[in-house]
Amino acid sequence: MSQPAEIVVEQLTKAYGKFLAVDNISFAVPKGMVVGFLGPNGAGKTTTIRMLTCFMPPTSGTARVGGFDVFHDSLKVRKNLGYLPENAPLYLEMRVAEYLQFRGRLRGMDRGSIKKRIDEVTELCWLSDRKRWPISKLSKGYRQRLGIADALLHNPPVLVLDEPTVGLDPSQIRETRKLIANLAGLHTVLLSTHILSEVELVCRKVIIIGRGKILAQGSPEELKQQCAQRGSGARLVLELRGPADQIRTALAALPGIEQARIISDNAVCAVELSGKLDGAMREQIAAMVQQRGWALREMRSAGASLEEFFVQITDPGAAAAA
Amino acid sequence: MSTTLALARREITGLFYSPIGYIVLAIYLLFVGLLFSLLVLQPGAIADPGPMFQWNHLILIFVVPFMTMSLFSEEYRSGRIETLRTSPITDFQLLMGKFLGAMGFYCVVIASSLIFILILSLFGRPDYMTVLTSYLGLLLMGMLMVSIGLFFSACTQHQILAAMSSCVTLVALGILFQAISYFLGSALGVSWAWLRTLRHVLRYLAIEPHMVNFSRGILDSQNIVFFLTGAGLFLFLTYVVLESRKWR
Repeated sequence: MSQPAEIVVEQLTKAYGKFLAVDNISFAVPKGMVVGFLGPNGAGKTTTIRMLTCFMPPTSGTARVGGFDVFHDSLKVRKNLGYLPENAPLYLEMRVAEYLQFRGRLRGMDRGSIKKRIDEVTELCWLSDRKRWPISKLSKGYRQRLGIADALLHNPPVLVLDEPTVGLDPSQIRETRKLIANLAGLHTVLLSTHILSEVELVCRKVIIIGRGKILAQGSPEELKQQCAQRGSGARLVLELRGPADQIRTALAALPGIEQARIISDNAVCAVELSGKLDGAMREQIAAMVQQRGWALREMRSAGASLEEFFVQITDPGAAAAA
Repeated sequence: MSTTLALARREITGLFYSPIGYIVLAIYLLFVGLLFSLLVLQPGAIADPGPMFQWNHLILIFVVPFMTMSLFSEEYRSGRIETLRTSPITDFQLLMGKFLGAMGFYCVVIASSLIFILILSLFGRPDYMTVLTSYLGLLLMGMLMVSIGLFFSACTQHQILAAMSSCVTLVALGILFQAISYFLGSALGVSWAWLRTLRHVLRYLAIEPHMVNFSRGILDSQNIVFFLTGAGLFLFLTYVVLESRKWR
């Protein structure tokens, strides 16, 4: 991580009266990286983003985007920033190209480069055939793409996208993710979302926020590992042929196994095990199964997903109940 | 400057795209037409369009709030304020863009009444210099009215609330103050000093006494200063509101 950080957040806090929407958070987004900003609804994602994009000033702490302070050099920050707000609000009565032209002029671009960039971004966001359309006639997916096109228009080094795939159909979601993944390297992207698979697919780093605090950060793999180390998440699923209740009692009797649960039992029986499931344990299980003469069809580990991790750390109550 | 103009242009085209713009234009033309045919276009009268301009504000106080109500309110409600404020523009540019845009549309509205000057010129020879000063008066008055509308629009995300508040304010300036001062002067007949001062203040704040000079071809600095300072005050207040919204 020798790359300099493009977004640096230090002890950022936003208070609404006594309520702390964002509580003393610090993180950094390295240059050219796509970073996922993850959290349940009301965790403070949008508030943080609004401070980064200079929409509202922080109560305390600092944030620097592209080397400029969001409070003192707000105009320079906004020049270097492309921002897609939640729900991509647009002027419905304008046409697509007309809107982009307006946005370009607000950013002080000259006519020639606006024209060139409109062609490029509409191509990039699959909007070329809709350039003459009034925005009010566009579907939600197209409006979302127009929002992304707008954020990209002035080719900013930093992009902040707030839930860019909301309202898109599955193939559009896939295309949008591909688009965002392609932006890596050229742009630094902070991607806010609560869709976990999205983060796993496009982000090299994840920041998880909950109740205004940063709960975890690291690469998706690191977080999965953390989850596995916590133990409670890791599970082993066995699929074998044999009498279900015998299998269950035999497996549960093994030292280190906390729980053995039959998931399904029709001809082939699936058992889910939890407890201490390291390599030696798995070998032991395999040996035991073979010795009993049950045909082993599959043994796989399950549960150490980002989703599990997310639920665990964002909602301690639910994790305890599980 | 070019960003301010881009914002202004969008406001004007926005009003022309929406039905509100045309409704405003139609209502204005209808009532100016009434003023014209009742007060100006009379058999044997001199070709003086003065009364049409002198009482023009009675129409505009009900028309301008509908032009200005959406300027900021709609941006707040739709969330577009977020795209605007995260663009590299200052609050002052935003304010000026909105103001100039609304003024541009206002100019189109008042220019539509030129049709009546044209009709008048078919029957007689109005004094064109007076017409010119009258339009200058309308323009200055428009700056005051639009800035009041802009202020209330910046205060709320509800368009109707913005329109009603600016309408009430304009009715006070356009009708109420003058009526009260007239009532205090004639009906009471007492001459307490503070009452007389109040009367003068109210009369100074009323729109009509300032418009009448323009409609007679008189350019009085007092009238010009009144409209300009009023507009400046409300633009400043709007700026304060915009700044303060950030901190909430």
